[in-house]
Amino acid sequence: MKLKVYADRMSQPCRAVIIFCKVNGIDYEEIKVHISKGQHLTPEFAEINPMKQLPAIADGRFKLFESHAILIYLACAFPGVADHWYPADVFKRSKIHSVLDWHHSNLRHGAAPYVFNTTIAPILGRPLNPQVAAEAEIILSSSLSKLESFWLKGNGRFLLGGNQPSIADLSLVCELMQLEVLDEKDRTRLLGPHKKVQQWIENTRNATSPHFDEVHRVIMLAKERQQHQRLKAAKNEGGSNMKRPLVSRM
Amino acid sequence: MKLKVYADRLSQPVRAVIIFCEVNGIDYEEIKVDLANREHLTPEFAEINPMQQLPAIVHGSFKLFESHAILIYIASSFPGVADHWYPADVYKRSKIHSVLDWHHSNLRRGPTPVFRSPLNPEAVAEGEKILSAALSKTESFWLDDNRPFLLGQNQPSIADLFLVCDIMQVKLVGETDWNRLLGPYKKVQQWIENTRNATNPHFDELHKVLKELKEKLQN
Repeated sequence: MKLKVYADRMSQPCRAVIIFCKVNGIDYEEIKVHISKGQHLTPEFAEINPMKQLPAIADGRFKLFESHAILIYLACAFPGVADHWYPADVFKRSKIHSVLDWHHSNLRHGAAPYVFNTTIAPILGRPLNPQVAAEAEIILSSSLSKLESFWLKGNGRFLLGGNQPSIADLSLVCELMQLEVLDEKDRTRLLGPHKKVQQWIENTRNATSPHFDEVHRVIMLAKERQQHQRLKAAKNEGGSNMKRPLVSRM
Repeated sequence: MKLKVYADRLSQPVRAVIIFCEVNGIDYEEIKVDLANREHLTPEFAEINPMQQLPAIVHGSFKLFESHAILIYIASSFPGVADHWYPADVYKRSKIHSVLDWHHSNLRRGPTPVFRSPLNPEAVAEGEKILSAALSKTESFWLDDNRPFLLGQNQPSIADLFLVCDIMQVKLVGETDWNRLLGPYKKVQQWIENTRNATNPHFDELHKVLKELKEKLQN
């Protein structure tokens, strides 16, 4: 009775779940559901998750959606998952719940719409929305500051002063990896001031190596495609009319 | 070591936490942090919760914020809390996590815009759209099994408390709008009543503030 993970690796929470499974040697089958092809909107997938979102899992007859709920379930239900991922200690565990909840309304609430409305929307046949992007950027910046000054306070290598990663590190870092597809100047502007955040992303990547890079390949490929398109657009505009300024990505 | 709960009863998640403490006989002290007077933005409160939001708790030297995390902590740490609030069974517990997470991005996003910007018709319309979609999903999916509570349960969990307290905020817009918004959803209406009955008299006591505020706004 193999665990089934319904995923599109372009989705940040999907990557967190898959990396977690790989790092912990969980026996699973990845079932690709392509968001860009609308496969998450089919009646077949609605049987798996009526909210039509990814990730979702099916473990025998048990179905579950919402990535944090999934990560917690996997940490509890599968043997051999080291305690640091989701500690049994109620105080440590509560802090993990706290940052995961904060993530919903803050980092995710800022990062996802910002990246979508500056870069990803056209890939899914949707228009960019600069106003939504501008509002999301405020939330994203504030969240990055809070990560730098509070969640990564102290000398731990991971969130909440930890020296080993938890499911919270995986969830939040995967969210931040979506920023890779941005114009480099935007990405640098947003992440540049936050040295601890940058180090923490690297720490999480190292702690889950080589799976982190393998699972993030789709994002890095998307990054390359975006960079190529930007270069092409800049060349075309420079060639046709030297006086016209470059189109702002915002 | 008494639990301190930093609260303003006008906040939906605050009400859920306090009702839970009352129902379960938790020994706690309610410390009022007046949102209207911006007391949550003081440096003193930032010491309790640097995110400057309610609710927050202090238990000895342990501080915690985010209401879902708080109730999970209380349910797990205090003796005498019945299992149905936050079941030990990993399957039931996971479903509770699932609906609580869904709540963040769905139901919770509904009522707030309606009250933050009552004179902004666009925000109100957007808030109503989100609320209606969430109510519809609650009716058709989360209350699918014709049982009294979410997820096919016969007794309430922390999820019921959170979601119902959020919906109750809609009472602030008045009976006509309440009836209009909730009218199509019979199961939701019954479930609100079930949750109220399961946690009364504390439910009514905690929701008095909404009545008082509504009367103030009307005058």
